[in-house]
Amino acid sequence: MGVIDLDRLEVRLGARTVLDGLTGELQGNAIGLLGPNGAGKSTLINTLLGFHPPSKGSARVFGLDAHRDRARIRGAIGYMPENDSFIGNMTGVRFVRYMAELAGLPSGAALERAHEALFYVGLGEVRYRKVNSYSLGMKQLIKLAQALAHGPRLLILDEPTNGLDPIARLRMIELIKEIRKEGSVRLLISSHLLRDIDETCDEVLILKNGRIAALCNIEAERRSNRSFMELETVGATEKFSVSIRGLGCECACFPGGRIKLVIPDHIEVRDLYVIASEQGVQIRRMNQRRDSLEDIFLRAMDSPMDREAGRSAHVSL
Amino acid sequence: MSVYKNNYRAYTGPVTPLWMRIYVLARYGFAEAWSSKITVALFTLSLLPFIIFLIIIYLANNPIAQLLVFKNSSRSLTVDAGFFLGTLQTQSWIALVLTAWVAPRLISFDLADNALPILLSHPISRVGYVFGKFMAMFTSLSAVTWVPCLLLFVYQCYSSAQPWAMANLSIAVGLFVGAVIWIAFLSILGLALSSWVKWRVVATGIIFAAVFVPAGVGGIVSAVLRTQWGLLLNFPVSMSVLWQRLLGAPEFMRSASSLPTPAIVTVLVLASLLCVAMLNARIRAR
Amino acid sequence: MTQANYRILFENVSKFYGEVLGVNRITLSIPPGITTLVGPNGSGKTTLMNLMTGLVQPSSGNISVMGLTAGDATEFFRNVGYCTQFDTFPRGLTGWQFLLDSLMLHGMSKTDAYRLTFEAIERVHLGDAAFRKIAGYSKGMRQKIRLAQSIAHHPRVLVLDEPLNGLDPMARAESIALFEELGRQGMHLVISSHILDEVDRISDRVVLITGGYLIAQGNIHQVRQEVRDKPMQVLIRCDRPELLASRMFAVNHCVEARVHSDGKGIFLRTGDIDQFYSMLNGIAAEGLIKIDAVAPADDDANAIYQYLIGSDGSAS
Repeated sequence: MGVIDLDRLEVRLGARTVLDGLTGELQGNAIGLLGPNGAGKSTLINTLLGFHPPSKGSARVFGLDAHRDRARIRGAIGYMPENDSFIGNMTGVRFVRYMAELAGLPSGAALERAHEALFYVGLGEVRYRKVNSYSLGMKQLIKLAQALAHGPRLLILDEPTNGLDPIARLRMIELIKEIRKEGSVRLLISSHLLRDIDETCDEVLILKNGRIAALCNIEAERRSNRSFMELETVGATEKFSVSIRGLGCECACFPGGRIKLVIPDHIEVRDLYVIASEQGVQIRRMNQRRDSLEDIFLRAMDSPMDREAGRSAHVSL
Repeated sequence: MSVYKNNYRAYTGPVTPLWMRIYVLARYGFAEAWSSKITVALFTLSLLPFIIFLIIIYLANNPIAQLLVFKNSSRSLTVDAGFFLGTLQTQSWIALVLTAWVAPRLISFDLADNALPILLSHPISRVGYVFGKFMAMFTSLSAVTWVPCLLLFVYQCYSSAQPWAMANLSIAVGLFVGAVIWIAFLSILGLALSSWVKWRVVATGIIFAAVFVPAGVGGIVSAVLRTQWGLLLNFPVSMSVLWQRLLGAPEFMRSASSLPTPAIVTVLVLASLLCVAMLNARIRAR
Repeated sequence: MTQANYRILFENVSKFYGEVLGVNRITLSIPPGITTLVGPNGSGKTTLMNLMTGLVQPSSGNISVMGLTAGDATEFFRNVGYCTQFDTFPRGLTGWQFLLDSLMLHGMSKTDAYRLTFEAIERVHLGDAAFRKIAGYSKGMRQKIRLAQSIAHHPRVLVLDEPLNGLDPMARAESIALFEELGRQGMHLVISSHILDEVDRISDRVVLITGGYLIAQGNIHQVRQEVRDKPMQVLIRCDRPELLASRMFAVNHCVEARVHSDGKGIFLRTGDIDQFYSMLNGIAAEGLIKIDAVAPADDDANAIYQYLIGSDGSAS
């Protein structure tokens, strides 16, 4: 039993089939939800929250049916929506406390946990001000605080770093990583920023046109291809590349001292450095090519479905 | 260990039952509604008629005092069903004003900043949400309708020389039922109209309009079609007729008296269903 | 001077809204190509952009965009395109109508306007959605129509306020490709963004602003090198980080070493980066330490932001 189980889930909104036969078991500690606009991410989240009944199939959260047992599920979920969502006329503390009480905490415990959650996300004195006076970063944090206050088992974050400046974004990512490390909460994070998902999630679900384009464990997918390497050099690059070709490596030179090469098995990194030393060339950057989340995403997007539509998802990275 | 790390920790304490969440919602709604000075001011104003009615009851039961106040005793004050009809009517107008102010406060704060997705992601259904707000509104309105009216009734029972209570218990029942019908209707009407518009001031205006405009329309219908059925749309009048029948008070308006009770009730029910439909359209998580 | 016709020039510009500071004493010179504008929320970026596009006038100082000032209104607005971050549109219009109306405001003929509208829709890959009402658009589509509106009239200067907000990864890449192409064609693009690794990818020139004051402008690497109180840091992933650190300390002006949290890499700070790499060659050639990867750890926009603006720069 995973965190989320989908069994031929179909959800229709009006006449449109938005989710079409989703099947899969999500088990990760932090699950990333990716996909182009209109792929059905929000609908999936709304279905898990019990807002949409499935027209066919089922979705289960912690083993409970997402529609029938939605009251129980909602008590165990913390939801941080993408858009502004708060009660402006209340102070921060009151708002978080209200939400905690609605989630089932007794009044006293709700107040305690509200303050704890606010402290944890980093909202200090600001918590005594009305929420409609908050800046964008604070509004994001208060949404996170209200999602955490009641101690949910699953935290659903929709674009958590939306609109945050770089420092606030870093802080949010750090918070998410800490929550994940604590262990009692699973996370479902929907984002357009691959970098954010890469840093925080271990499993990723990629939707496209209402279907699952990919469901994989990021760590497992990041195949390290030891033989492919990229270098950035300073110095006599041409001469250097000639020498390493002489060793048996295939390589290609690019402007700015960049070299892409394939190392055969009998050659080691050390050998490259020996040559560099002899020729006075500095190797300023060196990394082995690994499948990144971007590669996984692009592969998922560039599937047969896409080729039929005649649209190529080539992208300059 | 002297250094304390305040990390996130899970919650392991007791969890309140599901039905209690509606009560939480009602409680917070009630607090939001009454946190405004205007609400308190309106409530205080509503006490004015109450005091006047108290005085009238006192005078009615004390002929000596009555003589002192009214030099000529050609007017005799009697406290009967007609009197309580008057109190109910007065308090019900006050209830309308209170609804127009309070109902937008209950709903608009939630809608203004799109709090519904977060609210409804908690274990509270849309029905539960509306019911909680309804209870907050209903409780607030009770404080200005049947509660003071019944208090007046009790005072009358107490201060009446003859045994008055037993004979007139039906008045008490009528007061309660009549008030409950009106405030239930007002509550759902107020909530529905507040959910439909964006600004609280506009919602206040529309709530008043919703009571007066149909009255005007009904008047036109009556005049054009030369019938009394237009009065069905005139809520103050139709409610008064209903109350009159519940309290057993004498007729006050011949033209209105031809309205059959089932018709009045049907109109109220239909209007309420319309309000429920409006709420169904607006109170959504997405 | 003719050089001024190819730059966006700010001379000691200040803007106050009553008592509230927008920007103070900003002097900028922006060449053709892509320049990114980076800073916390509330730092004055939007004010700067409004000044650049002529929507507000400075309280003091001079602004000249390609030799034009906001005084020559028709010319000025014809040459400048602005894609704001604000998400409101006139009611009841379809995307197509919105674009057409914006173009007609420039006084061009209807034929021209039609042609440019279709072209702009094509460029942002909006497709058939352009004929639907904007009220029904998703966030990403609204972003695209705003972008289309700003490029439709082929301006020479394009100012974009967080143009990638709400776009999915593919649309982001498409937009970045579009910006790069426009930059190559000689346009001036000023793009503000919070996503610093995209900033690194998009451009080399950066303008840092916080609290209404200009903190830095120029090439990212040059700016980085000028932050002298933070020597350059390099991350080396290897099997024996401590040994590498001790060897490096012995031969180079290393000032700081920090082991990576996974134990398989080391962050080294050095005052002399050239010598550092040469020494690294020698140590790696010895063969005692197997090196997996080498990368500069703080030669990017993120590092400059941290060092120059840091956490006290964020407006909360």
